[in-house]
Amino acid sequence: MTARGRLWLFLVGAAAFAMVFVTACFSLPPFGSVHHPYGERAVRAALSHHTANVIASVNFDLRALDTLGEETILFAAVLGTVVLLRQTADEQRTRPEPAVVRPRVRWFALAMLPFAMLIGLYVIAHGQISPGGGFQGGVVTATALHLLYLAADYRALERVRPVPLYEIGDAAGEAAYVVTGLGALLAGSAFLANVLPLGTFATLSSGGTVILLNAAVGIEVTSGIVVLLARFLDQAVEIGHADDGNDHGNDGKERV
Amino acid sequence: MTDVLIVVALLLVAGAATAAVLNRDPVRQALVLSFLGLALALLFTFLQAPDVALSQLAVGSAVTPLMILLTVRKVRRRPGDSTDKGRER
Amino acid sequence: MRADDGWLAVALVPLLALVPVLWRVSRGAPEDRLIAQNLSSLLGGLALLPAAQGFGRPAYVDVALVLSVLGPTGTLIYARFLGVLPGSRLVRRTALLGVPAIVLPLCVAAGPGRAMAKLLLIGALLIAGSVVTGAGGGRGRKAAADGGRTA
Repeated sequence: MTARGRLWLFLVGAAAFAMVFVTACFSLPPFGSVHHPYGERAVRAALSHHTANVIASVNFDLRALDTLGEETILFAAVLGTVVLLRQTADEQRTRPEPAVVRPRVRWFALAMLPFAMLIGLYVIAHGQISPGGGFQGGVVTATALHLLYLAADYRALERVRPVPLYEIGDAAGEAAYVVTGLGALLAGSAFLANVLPLGTFATLSSGGTVILLNAAVGIEVTSGIVVLLARFLDQAVEIGHADDGNDHGNDGKERV
Repeated sequence: MTDVLIVVALLLVAGAATAAVLNRDPVRQALVLSFLGLALALLFTFLQAPDVALSQLAVGSAVTPLMILLTVRKVRRRPGDSTDKGRER
Repeated sequence: MRADDGWLAVALVPLLALVPVLWRVSRGAPEDRLIAQNLSSLLGGLALLPAAQGFGRPAYVDVALVLSVLGPTGTLIYARFLGVLPGSRLVRRTALLGVPAIVLPLCVAAGPGRAMAKLLLIGALLIAGSVVTGAGGGRGRKAAADGGRTA
């Protein structure tokens, strides 16, 4: 397709999108008004299911099916990365030199690791009562693990982080979500319906299936991000072309 | 007062997004992107959406920069790039 | 001005300080950009804490808690790849003066309890992160020494 053709295609598409978008915007309730038709119903539903964080209730109870879709997108994205960034026949793995890290940074990163991990788990565990949840906490927990890479080097991280285990965790988290949904079917209700005892409002055990689904997402996101970064780190640090013998010595210090 | 905070955060977001586009080097863009992520997180918090702010912070402050920088390192180390064409960009 | 607006006005100070920081992060030498990135997460945390109080939503401090952990992590990631961790008296001073100036009044407002412990933890994490990432010490030995394949 010529550049001119592409431009026209874009302009037609953009015009059509703009038209639909503007029409949709005019049908929205006014911004900043006191009347929120969806919000009022969502808050009522969340309170009736003893979930203090209404967002968690929307994500894991009212619209749990949407979250299953989002979780599957992440799962598929990680799977795609694993396939794309695998070690191919013309690539070879070389052991990188151990990195030299300043003692202060090493000390700080190591001291921060348990804190960061604890905060990640805290954000996951309190998803139903305060802002946060499986996704946010999962990313923090996975990031915390990589403080070990900053404290030492990739080899140190590889020693304590068995990627196959996280690959299983990724799949198990995804499966646990679906199984919880099917459990609701077995209990005689709809797929992903909230069928468990709702617990006491604003405690860690409140919210029924919200807790289980939140935990499933937490496991999947933590494992998924670890696997994702493992593939990126493998490619950037260890895997090179078989004929890439003469390193030119620029990599540790890319100048901006 | 909330409106003032929202307006300042919006301006920061607009400024950071423009700066990210105007920078051409991926590493510089990554740094501006970090700032943009922070400005967005502040904006979301001021708009009473802490859950979204947390998502933005979690992804934007460490994982995205790490992925961008690892990709840049991998791409710049390609064989052949070291001699001639890798230097021109 | 209501009492809540007072806290929001406090939040406005670090927020406005982010404007020149944005200028530094988008222009200038790599070291300056990295310092600006470091400073931005500190100022972000300092804006979030009084904002949570001003909105009357103590749970919002979780955002600052996550930022206090991930902000320095992000800076260290950049430092690893750029091969520099520039020292900055500005970052250290902002942390040592700004964090107590904002966290201690918030602790008084919160009163003894879990909320106060959380605020103190966030304050400690913000200071520790800024002092370590802002202490400098010239260029990393790693970047100067190794030939490339370092992890």
